[in-house]
Amino acid sequence: MPAGLEIERLYDQHAQPLYAFLLNLTRDEADTRDLLQEVFVKIARDPQLLHGIREERAFLIRLAHNAAIDLIRRRGTRERTRENFAAETVSPFAPASDPDEETFRNNLAGALAELPAEQRAVAHLKLWEGLTFEQIAAALEIPPNTAASRYRYALDKMRERLRPLYEEMKKAE
Amino acid sequence: MNDEKEQFEQRLRHQTVKQVPAGWRAEILAAVADDARNQRSETIRKMTLAEALMRRVRELLWPHPAAWAGLAAVWLFVFGINFSMREESPALAIKTSPPSPEEVSELRQQHRLYAELVGMPDTVTRDVKRPRDPLSKPRSERAEILAA
Repeated sequence: MPAGLEIERLYDQHAQPLYAFLLNLTRDEADTRDLLQEVFVKIARDPQLLHGIREERAFLIRLAHNAAIDLIRRRGTRERTRENFAAETVSPFAPASDPDEETFRNNLAGALAELPAEQRAVAHLKLWEGLTFEQIAAALEIPPNTAASRYRYALDKMRERLRPLYEEMKKAE
Repeated sequence: MNDEKEQFEQRLRHQTVKQVPAGWRAEILAAVADDARNQRSETIRKMTLAEALMRRVRELLWPHPAAWAGLAAVWLFVFGINFSMREESPALAIKTSPPSPEEVSELRQQHRLYAELVGMPDTVTRDVKRPRDPLSKPRSERAEILAA
């Protein structure tokens, strides 16, 4: 396995974005912790996985995404229903000090939860990781055009969902 | 329209995502280390299993080495017999080998003697002694014969 220090370096560099990504997909703290651990255990067991990889972040996101998709598939209908209303339980966003901003974040979390997992993954990587469509395509193993169209659909849905609140907030500003 | 879309996108980008809980680092790294230890002990356990199997075999064979050696000798003997049966026997090899020139001449002699006794023409020796037909020679040699 890579030396302990190497795993520590990987954790320190990539755990935060992986955590936010997994939390946005699973909407469950315990599942997110398990999946994050699973990713690092996998790397520790087979260090060759990272051999010749230029984009460590993209590769780790791919591992995390695959693990999350496996978990979502394992979940039954009851769990999937819970996922749809997950915004009420776990939000991927930090609490905001401004009440209006807090309301917006809560609504945004709800809008994200309504998106299919594939669109949510692309939207998260584009908006909160700042990845390009090529990088997202590489990480999720999809064509760049697919990544772009999923992002567009996701953005349109969220805009539609948040329009009343967003316009109200703009007027207030 | 596009401006509005971009503003909305910008607004979304500025939302801060949650930070990974600080306590997870130690827990996850400890779990990774534990897993590595378990993997190592699993490997050692597998090796120990192979060693235990070898020991059991040794224990089974060691108390009666003479008996096992005798059994091995019997097997070797059976194998040798089986191997020799597969080879061609020397007698058969002699039979199948072509006859020597001495044997051929002796056979011819016996055949001639038999022909003399029976009163038959000796076809074997006659064929050997019969002069060659001059006409069967090449045309150039035939001309020399005619001139002579």
